[in-house]
Amino acid sequence: MLIFAATLSSIAQQPAVRFIDADGKTIAEVPAQRREAQVYLPVDAVKRVIDPATTHQYNHPRKRLTLKIKGRQIRLQMDKPTVSIEPGGQTLTLSTPPIIIAQRPMLPIAFFKQLLPILNDVDVIYNSNLNRLQIRPKGTWTAVETDNIQNWAIIVDPGHGGDDQGCEGSTGILEKNIVLALAKQLQRISKQQGIQVYLTRETDTKRTQFERIQVAKQNRGQLFLSLHCNASFSPHEKGIRIYLNNPKGQIRFPSTTKPALTGQQLKVLTQVNFLKQSHDFARALQTELNFLTETPVQIIDLPLIALSEAYMPAVVLELGYLSNVEDLEKLSNAEYTESVSQAMTRALQRYISSVNQQTSATAIE
Amino acid sequence: MINNQAAKNTSQSTKMAKHLLKHPIPIIRVGRLENNNAGFSRLLVIWGITLIAVLLCLGVTLLLIERSKQAVMPVAPPLLPTAANPSDTPPEPQEVNLFLLDTTTLTLVPIKIERRLHRELRPRLSQVVSALIQETPPNFRNTIPRGTELNEVYIDSQQTAYLDFSSHLSDGHIGGTTAEFLTVTAILKTVFDAFPDDIKQVQILIDGEEVKTIAGHLNLSQPLRLPQ
Repeated sequence: MLIFAATLSSIAQQPAVRFIDADGKTIAEVPAQRREAQVYLPVDAVKRVIDPATTHQYNHPRKRLTLKIKGRQIRLQMDKPTVSIEPGGQTLTLSTPPIIIAQRPMLPIAFFKQLLPILNDVDVIYNSNLNRLQIRPKGTWTAVETDNIQNWAIIVDPGHGGDDQGCEGSTGILEKNIVLALAKQLQRISKQQGIQVYLTRETDTKRTQFERIQVAKQNRGQLFLSLHCNASFSPHEKGIRIYLNNPKGQIRFPSTTKPALTGQQLKVLTQVNFLKQSHDFARALQTELNFLTETPVQIIDLPLIALSEAYMPAVVLELGYLSNVEDLEKLSNAEYTESVSQAMTRALQRYISSVNQQTSATAIE
Repeated sequence: MINNQAAKNTSQSTKMAKHLLKHPIPIIRVGRLENNNAGFSRLLVIWGITLIAVLLCLGVTLLLIERSKQAVMPVAPPLLPTAANPSDTPPEPQEVNLFLLDTTTLTLVPIKIERRLHRELRPRLSQVVSALIQETPPNFRNTIPRGTELNEVYIDSQQTAYLDFSSHLSDGHIGGTTAEFLTVTAILKTVFDAFPDDIKQVQILIDGEEVKTIAGHLNLSQPLRLPQ
C-alpha cells in the first residue's frame, strides 16, 4: 500500500514544461501534469507564455472554456478536440483534447503547438523527452530569398565507410551506418526546405579524404559538415560535441619559424582562413542541438585530419557516444535521429540566413 | 787381517767384473729377443704416434672451440654495465606522473609511480612512455589501446621527441574524436611532465612511419604541443 502511494506521489511529481526562445533562453517554466503519456498545462500558462493580458472563463456544468487572447476569442470544450477561434470562424482540431484534472481545465501541449503559430507568427517545436517547447519567430531563417538559399551547396560527409567502420556500440551498431542514415535523412529534410545537400558517400564504401573533398569541389560546396559518432574510454561520457579544425586548439602544431612553408603547413594555414565562419556555423548547430540534449553541446578546437583540405567553413559533428548506453539508445532510435536532422536543417537555415544578411549588409554599404 | 780380507774382496769383485766383461751373454740374449718381435713393436710405435696425433688434434680443436666462444663473449659483457651500472651506484627511484583517465571526472589526471630511471635521456624517455603503456591502476583507464608496444624513441636537435609505436595504437583504437584526443593528450602530458626542459614537441610514428592520424579525426602529421 505504502509502495503504491509512493508510486502515485512520484507520478504526481510531474516535470515542468520549459518554454524557450529561438536562442535557447528560457521564457517560462510551467508546472505540468501527465496523464497517459500526454502532458497538460494549466490555463495560467497562456498568460505567462502568450499574452499576460489573457482572460479566461470556465463554465463548470458545461465544461466549456473561453479564452480571450490578443483580441481573439477561443472556445474549447473539455474532452473534445475541436477549438473555435473568433473572429474569423476558424476551427482547429487538436491531436489531444483538453481535460479536467482536479476540477481544473487543463490544456494539452497540442493546444500550444497548434494554436501559437495561428495567433503569433511563430513556429513551435516540442521535445517530449525533455519537456521543452521552443517558440521561434516564423521564417526568421527562411526569410532569405529562395534564389539565394537554392544557390547554397551544403556538403554533408558521413564519416568512415567500407572496412573503416568507425566506432562500435555494445549492441553491434556501427558508426558508419548511423551517420550514413542520418546524412540521408538530413538531405531529405533540407531539400524540403529548399537547401541542396550533397553527400560525400551514398553507400557503405570507403572514401579517402581526397575523394571526399573532390565531391565538395565538384559541387561548389560552401559548407562542409562531417557527421561522426563519438567514443570514449569512460562509459559515463555523453552528449553532442562539435569540432573545428584549428591548429592552435587543445592540441597544437608548433608555430612555423621556417622561411618557406611546406605544402602540409600551407594546407593547415589555408583552412584557418575559414575558422570564423566555421565557428559561426558551429554556434548555429550548438543553439539548435542544445534543444535536444540535457548536456550542453560543446564546441572544441583541434587540428583535424577529417576537415583538412576542405577550403570552406567546415565542422565535425559528433552526434553522441556509442560508448554510452543513453546516447547509444538515442542514436538507435529513428524518432530521435529525425529530430536531430530537423535541428541540423534549422542550423543550416540559421547559418545561411546570417551569411546572406552579412552579404546584403556589405552590398548596401 | 781385516785389510787382507778387504784386499781379498776387492780382488774377487774385480774378477767378477772381468768375468762379466768376458761373457756378456745375457745382453746378447736380450738383443736376440728384440730381433725376433720386430714387426709387432713397429706396429706399437705407429699406433702410439697415431694416438698422440689424434689426441693432439682433439686438444687443438677443443682449444679452438674454446677460443671461438671467448671471441663471442666480449659483446655480452658491456651489456651488463649498461643494465646494472656496476661502475656507478644504481639510480635512485624517481617519481613519474602517468596521465590516465579518471572515469568519474572524465579528465586526464597525473598518477604517481616510482621507477629507477636511466640517466641518459633517450632510454629514460623510452622507460617513461613504456610505463604509460603498461600501468593501469584500479579506478583509472589507460587511454593507450592495450597491447600497443613502443618500438623506438628518438630525440632530435629541435627537442622533438619521436615516439614510434606498433600499429596496434591505430588498429586497436576504439575510435571517436574524444578517445583519439585522450590517447594523444595522455602521451603528450606524460612526456612534457617528465621532460619539461628536454622535450618541446612530440611526433607520433607508427612502425617507423609518419602518420596522418590514428583513428581518422586528429591531424598527427606534424609534431604536437599542448596549449601553455
